[in-house]
Amino acid sequence: MKFGIFFELSTPRPFSRAAERAVYHNALEQCRLADELGFHHVWAVEHHFLEEYSHCSSPEVFLSAVAAQTRRIRVGHGAVVCVPEMNHPVRVAERAAALDIISDGRLELGTARSSTWTELGGFGVDPDDTKKTWDEFVRVLPQMWTTDEFEWQGKAFSMPSRNVLPKPLQDPHPPLWVTVTSPGTELDAADRGLGCLGVSAAGYEEQERRTREYHHRIACCDPVGAVVNDQVHTMNFLYCHEDYRQARDVGVPMVNAFNVANAHLYWTREAYPTRAYQGLGNAGAAMKPKRAPADDPSVAKGLPEGVGVGDPEHLIRTIKRWESIGVTGINFLVNAMEMVPQQQVLDSLRLFAREVMPTFCSREDLSGPVSAPTLAVGAR
Amino acid sequence: MLVGAADVAALAEAAPAVPSYFTEPLVLEQVVLFQTVLEMHNQAREAVLPPSLHPTSPPTLSVQAWQVAASPWGAFSMVVTRVSCRGGVRARGFTTAAAASTDAAVEGLRTQLGYPARLATVRVLSSYSRAEVTVTEADGDSLGLVAIDPVPLGPDDVQYTSTLNLARVPEGLRLAQVEFDLVEPRRVERLQARLTGFRAGCWGSERLDPYHVVAASVAVGTVRFPPLRFLQRPDELAFTGTETIGGAR
Repeated sequence: MKFGIFFELSTPRPFSRAAERAVYHNALEQCRLADELGFHHVWAVEHHFLEEYSHCSSPEVFLSAVAAQTRRIRVGHGAVVCVPEMNHPVRVAERAAALDIISDGRLELGTARSSTWTELGGFGVDPDDTKKTWDEFVRVLPQMWTTDEFEWQGKAFSMPSRNVLPKPLQDPHPPLWVTVTSPGTELDAADRGLGCLGVSAAGYEEQERRTREYHHRIACCDPVGAVVNDQVHTMNFLYCHEDYRQARDVGVPMVNAFNVANAHLYWTREAYPTRAYQGLGNAGAAMKPKRAPADDPSVAKGLPEGVGVGDPEHLIRTIKRWESIGVTGINFLVNAMEMVPQQQVLDSLRLFAREVMPTFCSREDLSGPVSAPTLAVGAR
Repeated sequence: MLVGAADVAALAEAAPAVPSYFTEPLVLEQVVLFQTVLEMHNQAREAVLPPSLHPTSPPTLSVQAWQVAASPWGAFSMVVTRVSCRGGVRARGFTTAAAASTDAAVEGLRTQLGYPARLATVRVLSSYSRAEVTVTEADGDSLGLVAIDPVPLGPDDVQYTSTLNLARVPEGLRLAQVEFDLVEPRRVERLQARLTGFRAGCWGSERLDPYHVVAASVAVGTVRFPPLRFLQRPDELAFTGTETIGGAR
């Protein structure tokens, strides 16, 4: 089991330059601590124009600072929005390769297509095209990283032969992931040999089904890259405290704040009739209310099942359940809307690392280099 | 988290009375439902919504134009303008104004569904090549929309969010949640629309400034309004201010 933290860099109103600075620098401090504590990944999303929800529009810059301030934790650039109006694929390949060099080969690259009208409309993107352009991006990025003469004729872009530079440090290239929001996207990931990066917190039953189907499909994939990433990571929240009541009292409002902010996003489907986006929102869409025994003292009332809010014993039980259904990693949102004071976030991370992570990871795994979750094509 | 800042007392001046609730679904047959979504500037965000609702970013105005061949109120046409919002965590549209083409429809829409409907000349045209909507008041046109180049879509590809109508219901002044189902639509299309005229004062607030068309759609089918189920206090967030009608769930 791998553990990561991930950042939307949510920033509550009232906005100020100082408040945005505090959000960024708090996050960097959390990354430094996570690196020391043995966490395996730090992810930063790419979002644009999403007031309060996410002020993380240039994750590659944030992650460059993370890479410079840490020594072992892997750096998750994701998900990059794979539509050419926002990111030309050559620029994605260039930035990712540079970040891989800066981090000494610790880059993981997530791919996505964006799902709010606020973002797609802001860049003039045709929602009908995003699935197609995403598909094109994930096929060309490995080629740009591994060939000296890259040329392409496609829908998203075309270009004559050029050598896309620099090349990433990881050979043949960094692991690739797909963010999975809509049901079915996990199969798109599997077909291409890409890791499954859950960004909406599904319940156990739904996640088990998705994970099973993913593993069936990836066993016969046609990889788009020179390596296959067959890992399934999910998104979760983390607030860990010795006293479950305190965990509940701090963690539940944090989870609710995130879910409300997520529900307030202006989803593409609401504005633009299309077959390409079938859902309104993603937070907890597939989650079920927890039906725990009435005498379970660790139950955080009001939380769906499987959420990482509670005392260490509760979190160990919760993570074992996720592990039992095939999840190989969990990326935690450790704060939202700055609801949790920074010191409490850091204390929560320390307690989790001390009391929970050793159940799932060896001492070497928590202190040594974190290996890439990929297999060479043909080695499977 | 933004919330609406409109004066509820001022909004209440246009609120119709719903003296009792209908108990069987209202069915509108052979309906052409034309919907256009337009972005607005932030001046039309929290200022036009009651304090119980959260605005969206960007704020949008959805214009729904209905041409109805048969209903409990006979044949009629109507246009409704709604501002995008959230009631709690749910996507909603807050009605700012409505116009209908017959006295019977105005009466039915006001007293049964809580739409703040007024009488006007409403023309809804939909063909295989274009759609047009015009609303004409005593002193001239108040709204005009033209849409061209229909592209076929599937029956589930258009999203209709539930509508919140501020009305005087038996419980008092409330936002009545109006839902409808489009039953077995036989034509669903997306079109490119253009707003040819819009007098904001006729549609609930001078702050409304639809300046950028996102998309338009046309659907043809039967519309079924189930009995009202939920109310929301206009000055209280949905998390605590939601009430059920007759214990509905």
